[in-house]
Amino acid sequence: MLRSTLRLSTPAFKAGMTPQLMMRSPIAMRNHKMFGTIPQPPGGIVGTVNDAAPVPPANPTKGSYHWTFERILVVGLIPMTVLPFATGSISPVLDATLGATLLIHSQLGFESCITDYIPKRVYGSIHNYAMYLLYGGTVVGLYGLYKLETEDVGLTGTIKKIWNA
Amino acid sequence: MFALRASRNVLKSRPVFARGLASTAEAPKVPAPRIKKFGIYRWNPDTPEKKPELKEYEVDLSQCGPMVLDALIKIKNEQDPTLTFRRSCREGICGSCAMNIEGRNTLACLCRINPDIAKEEKIYPLPHMFVVRDLVPDLTQFYKQYKSIEPYLQRDEVPADGKENLQSIADRRKLDGLYECILCACCSTSCPSYWWNQQEYLGPAVLMQAYRWMIDSRDEATAKRQQMLENSMSLYRCHTIMNCARTCPKGLNPGLAIAKIKRSMAFV
Repeated sequence: MLRSTLRLSTPAFKAGMTPQLMMRSPIAMRNHKMFGTIPQPPGGIVGTVNDAAPVPPANPTKGSYHWTFERILVVGLIPMTVLPFATGSISPVLDATLGATLLIHSQLGFESCITDYIPKRVYGSIHNYAMYLLYGGTVVGLYGLYKLETEDVGLTGTIKKIWNA
Repeated sequence: MFALRASRNVLKSRPVFARGLASTAEAPKVPAPRIKKFGIYRWNPDTPEKKPELKEYEVDLSQCGPMVLDALIKIKNEQDPTLTFRRSCREGICGSCAMNIEGRNTLACLCRINPDIAKEEKIYPLPHMFVVRDLVPDLTQFYKQYKSIEPYLQRDEVPADGKENLQSIADRRKLDGLYECILCACCSTSCPSYWWNQQEYLGPAVLMQAYRWMIDSRDEATAKRQQMLENSMSLYRCHTIMNCARTCPKGLNPGLAIAKIKRSMAFV
């Protein structure tokens, strides 16, 4: 491994390493064949041994704003989930807000799962498809919520019905 | 007269020499042997077609020091000189002998051998790292990441007297629990997020050092340091799993440091 690491600094690597060379483990080879995963450099090392690891471009929407938004949602969800238990029922507007917040909360949570386990770095377009699928699911969920609120008893009402069934 | 007194003194002090050279000494007490099995991960880059294996060694604990590193050195000295591992200070300050012992990432020099001789002590290299040989992991990426956070003092101007950058005692105290890190990589390699996204997520050890420079009252590059973490991968892959704090052989808490970075970057 050390030797292949050192090889990275040679001109041959800078000229462009072939995927065959970059894929050393049989698992990586199988995943490449089955899912078309992008071959990763040995040891995850990009550039020479003495270079610093590359810093991605700053984007607060994916960074601190995203995190702050997540926290605000979580803090907001606490009173909204406690309230129906405490009062027995909540207004349709609050009920819809609770449903929408819950949906966005799970959307962000699953987004995190996709970033963790289907990273763009390795899976490329498959990562995008997973994201589209998730967005599609959230939209369908939102539509269902709309139906539930306008034509049925609402989210808390439905849960109550299932609970008492 | 003087000579006589001297000889008399010799006679007086005779009991000291009661055991002459010819007499036999009491046999030294040999403690009962306590044979303990060690299962050690072995892989040789010269024979890549051979799969890694857990090789068993037997060590007499009564003839061995108390720490796992003592046992490893004893095995290398007496049984198998091909066994490869990193070690240097043997007192937990260099961070070389980080390895996975009985399922926990720790320093072999700070980890006592489990006295239960019925149980085999299993030793692996740090998990989810590329292995150079036996217990030696490839830490190149880890060091490259450490380099990427620019772990040195950054200021716009030097002090007027051209001497030291002074710091109050209270400001210095903020660095306690952070500066003690020896970069052994035990925490980073225990973090599932780091296992899956090692190439982009910086990991607890490096992030704790990033925080160490952010809160240093003498450093003026805090905004730049925060900007470097403003993306989905570098910092925010931390999901507060807290394996880092659990495993740290120095008793530090990288998870808390990461949480403090997140808080300092929120609502700004």
